[in-house]
Amino acid sequence: MGAPDELEADTVIHQPIRLKIMAALNALPDGEAIEFIRLRAILRATDGNLATHLGTLEQAGYIEIAKDFVGKKPRTRAMLTREGRRAFERHVAYLRDILDPVSKR
Amino acid sequence: MVLSREQAAEALRAIEETGDRSRELRSYSRRAPHLILWGAIWAAGYALSDFFPQWAWTIWAIAIPAGLVAGAVIDRRARSAARWRYAAVALAIAAFCFATFSIMAPVGGRQVAAFIPLVVATGYVLVGIWTGSRLIVSGIAVAALTLGGYFLLPAHFLLWMAIVGGGALVSAGVWLGRA
Repeated sequence: MGAPDELEADTVIHQPIRLKIMAALNALPDGEAIEFIRLRAILRATDGNLATHLGTLEQAGYIEIAKDFVGKKPRTRAMLTREGRRAFERHVAYLRDILDPVSKR
Repeated sequence: MVLSREQAAEALRAIEETGDRSRELRSYSRRAPHLILWGAIWAAGYALSDFFPQWAWTIWAIAIPAGLVAGAVIDRRARSAARWRYAAVALAIAAFCFATFSIMAPVGGRQVAAFIPLVVATGYVLVGIWTGSRLIVSGIAVAALTLGGYFLLPAHFLLWMAIVGGGALVSAGVWLGRA
């Protein structure tokens, strides 16, 4: 029998803005992207701050960023990857485990 | 990294609030084009019914299916996984109105013209209770304007619904889209 699968905090996700980005994306159905401006409205974050944290999550492989044009307007969209959704679920399980260790797994 | 219970509780609270807000705005963005579409259909349908009352049933017999088809196209473009729900909701409203009229027959076309928007407005309020306050406000506004026109401007009710009712739906759609 191997070692128990210990839950642990995901340091990439736990930063407050990134945690909210992941929560906002996780609330969408699989494969659905959210526009940068809508994400900014949800998080009430500045453009620069949001872009920085999106970049960090993209580098971690947790989200995908797509850039295109709608007419002449540039559009940036973010979408959770499968790996990102799994990482977020693990992080949430870790948080719940802290609050309710008795009923864990 | 080890988190305290307080930090974990705060993070879970933030996750829940952000998720709710994300779902709310998604719901608004999905519904906004439908409100604008039906606002335009109301405007055209009621205006034409006012100008050509003898053709009112024909006008709506064309306008409503056209709206359903256009709504399905909007959902198809949005790649909604629940396209069938749009048709199901429309059928449920139609069935409810038909059933109601069969047991409480309206005495005039004005009643029919007011009743259906009131049912639609109630639907917005009910959906809004679950998904977001802007839909509740939109539903109440449409209902209040419908009743206002019905009682205060009976002679020009259809024109009122074309301009004010249709305009209110379009405005509500734009308002939701900008949330």
